[in-house]
Amino acid sequence: MQWWCSAQGIAWTWTWRPYVGVWIMVLALALWYWRSYTRAAREWGGVHPRLRTPRVIASIAGIALLWMALDWPIGTLGAGYLASVHMVQFFLIAMIAPALLVWGWPPARPGPLSAAVNALTHPVVAIIIFDAVVVATHSPPVVDSLMASQAGSFLLDMAWLLAGIVFWWPLIGGPFGRAPLRTPLNIAYIFVSSLSHTGVSMYLLLARFPVYSTYELAPPMSGITKLTDQDLAGGLMLLGGAAIVLGAISVVFFKWQAEEEREESRRQRAASSELSP
Amino acid sequence: MQSIAIARARVPLGARAIATMFVTALVAASLTACGGGADVGSAAERPGNDQGYRGVVLPTPLAKPSFVLTDTKGQPFDFRKETDGSLTLLFFGYTNCPDVCPVHLGNIHTVLEQMPFDVKSHTKVVFVTTDPERDTPERLRSWLDNFDPSFIGLRGTVDEVNRIQATLHLPPAVASAPHGADSSYDVGHAAQVIAFSPTDNMGHVIYPFGIRQQDWANDLPKLMTDKWAAK
Repeated sequence: MQWWCSAQGIAWTWTWRPYVGVWIMVLALALWYWRSYTRAAREWGGVHPRLRTPRVIASIAGIALLWMALDWPIGTLGAGYLASVHMVQFFLIAMIAPALLVWGWPPARPGPLSAAVNALTHPVVAIIIFDAVVVATHSPPVVDSLMASQAGSFLLDMAWLLAGIVFWWPLIGGPFGRAPLRTPLNIAYIFVSSLSHTGVSMYLLLARFPVYSTYELAPPMSGITKLTDQDLAGGLMLLGGAAIVLGAISVVFFKWQAEEEREESRRQRAASSELSP
Repeated sequence: MQSIAIARARVPLGARAIATMFVTALVAASLTACGGGADVGSAAERPGNDQGYRGVVLPTPLAKPSFVLTDTKGQPFDFRKETDGSLTLLFFGYTNCPDVCPVHLGNIHTVLEQMPFDVKSHTKVVFVTTDPERDTPERLRSWLDNFDPSFIGLRGTVDEVNRIQATLHLPPAVASAPHGADSSYDVGHAAQVIAFSPTDNMGHVIYPFGIRQQDWANDLPKLMTDKWAAK
């Protein structure tokens, strides 16, 4: 029995496989969030903005997505059979789940690790970490070496998750420390982050032959050639990356517009109150 | 893994090795990404590289065997006569093979599709079944058509096929005991493809499992034109 998904070179079947390490990790994360929420609720009496229901739901959704991406069948297929599913895993683990987890991060006071967190989530540091991890974890030598063992596969998944958290923190804002980036810096931040996505996707799409031996030599899945699978992975990276960039920029833009409108109406109210006798 | 000759090594990595790889990969990834291609193979690590081949160059070439088996139309197929003057890729396997056979054939087909016309049109891929009981002519044809309708499928008795393999220094095919509800069985078989040159009809290079599409793309044009006798 495996504790974490990795490439095994055995023919794919739709027979369920347990991954105890994934369950322990997801359970530990869920317990940490629950404990942090209950502690914060006692301390702040439930009035803290980070204790609102949508944020709690976001954290639950983030943990659920993480579980879905790491466990059978997505985890198994992505680790040793299909590059395209590996890419789906990337988006779930490195992009979507971390955004939900950061937005739903329970309230917390600065602690002994705050300085380190602040340093890692400085926008310049965060973007370098994120882009470096995206490029490194999609390079063929790293993928082929790491996916061959459970420890390597675990390391790659954790690198994605941590890089995703570091990436979203300056945009969404954590429970303490630096305020979220303001427009237009946040738009520039998102744009720079997309360069690594685009580079990796173009590399996959332009390759004449499969670049990852893990997927090229894996027992085949019916109905899809190795090169089509890789093209699909590159396309997913390109479109998924673009969707996230456009989505994030849209959110940033509409929030900025709403703030501007609120500010404008505040100014108008102030002006009219000065004019009235 | 049903194939017995070559198996992929899955070696667990130490934390130090993994950390080192992360750093080196940053450099490697940036270099390969600039190339826009997929030439990431480790040709230098493979035997035969001194001659530019990614496959294993045999110190003593194999003579092309003479045999007559039955093709998927039920007609006798004289291997030596029918493949004379063509680059011939000979492989022994079976249609229920879950891994090695479909990977080899799928990879060869993908690369042939990208080869110049003279390479593609002068290459013959011959697949000899090691499981004649289940691989009926219809099943064999239909399975090969999933990869490439030009691939040639041949059948003979297990003894005949094992005798041919022996002449090529390949181990005989071995069927496992029936298992499961449908009493299916696996067939252990040699995992290498033997390439016979069109110029001297000898097998100079073999391709074990693990050979990749980029390796085939490197070797097929060379195999087509190499004048072995002159070396």
